[in-house]
Amino acid sequence: MPLDIQIVRTAGSDQTGVYTVKLTGSLDTLTAPDLEKELTPVMARCGKDLMFDLAGLKFISSAGLRVFSMVRKQLKERGGMASFISLQPQITEVFAIIKALPGVGMFTSEAEFDSYIAARQRIVQNGQNGQV
Amino acid sequence: MKLELKGTPGEVMRAVESLQEFGEAKGIPAGILFGLTLALEECASNIVNHALQRDPAQTFEVTLEHTGEAISIELRDSGIAFDPTLAPPGDGVADDEEEPGGWGIFLVRKYTDNLIYSREGGRNVLRLMKSLPLPA
Repeated sequence: MPLDIQIVRTAGSDQTGVYTVKLTGSLDTLTAPDLEKELTPVMARCGKDLMFDLAGLKFISSAGLRVFSMVRKQLKERGGMASFISLQPQITEVFAIIKALPGVGMFTSEAEFDSYIAARQRIVQNGQNGQV
Repeated sequence: MKLELKGTPGEVMRAVESLQEFGEAKGIPAGILFGLTLALEECASNIVNHALQRDPAQTFEVTLEHTGEAISIELRDSGIAFDPTLAPPGDGVADDEEEPGGWGIFLVRKYTDNLIYSREGGRNVLRLMKSLPLPA
């Protein structure tokens, strides 16, 4: 089963935007290098956050988890976070078993993720304005 | 079902797809079949990436058996002796200081009932066993 990768900027500018990576198919030993390659330019221009929409992801192995782990570490160093929405039950189970990605955001929908980002931006803006 | 496969990631996924079709034909419950395909992917990837060094000229074998009560997956390769069952149990948790290298064998253990290694005739033989629920 191949892996289809769609990358869309969902907010912000080219240089600091929030990007959504939509994965469909199988993230495995064969396809994980493709995702890693596609993410390299995205990681260079995304801000602190990156969202993965996994609604169409049917299969994942440790090769795919390693790519997510790499992204999580890089975003954490920037003070940001990797987030995941719409996981199918078998993918949720793998995440739960491996306890692989502490510190990532798990959201049920894009709207929930957007609310989180908006709330965090308000906190940052309030901080810049001297508000707490 | 017996498969002879080349030492490439593409062949690993050919084995996985064969197991998927085999399991569906045998009526294996989807949740169990997902776990077995994941376990096969991890073990076969380990063979291809480490024992065979991704050399397409080298081959390994996968044999699938279904007894009605259980399903077994046997992998055979001619790489250097390596017993994955000796890997530390681990807890599957990777923090920022730890590389996630042990996740594969951790998942294999979670999704199978028994993992048996032997060295036979200069070959690594790894058997994965999974019991199946009785028909309703």
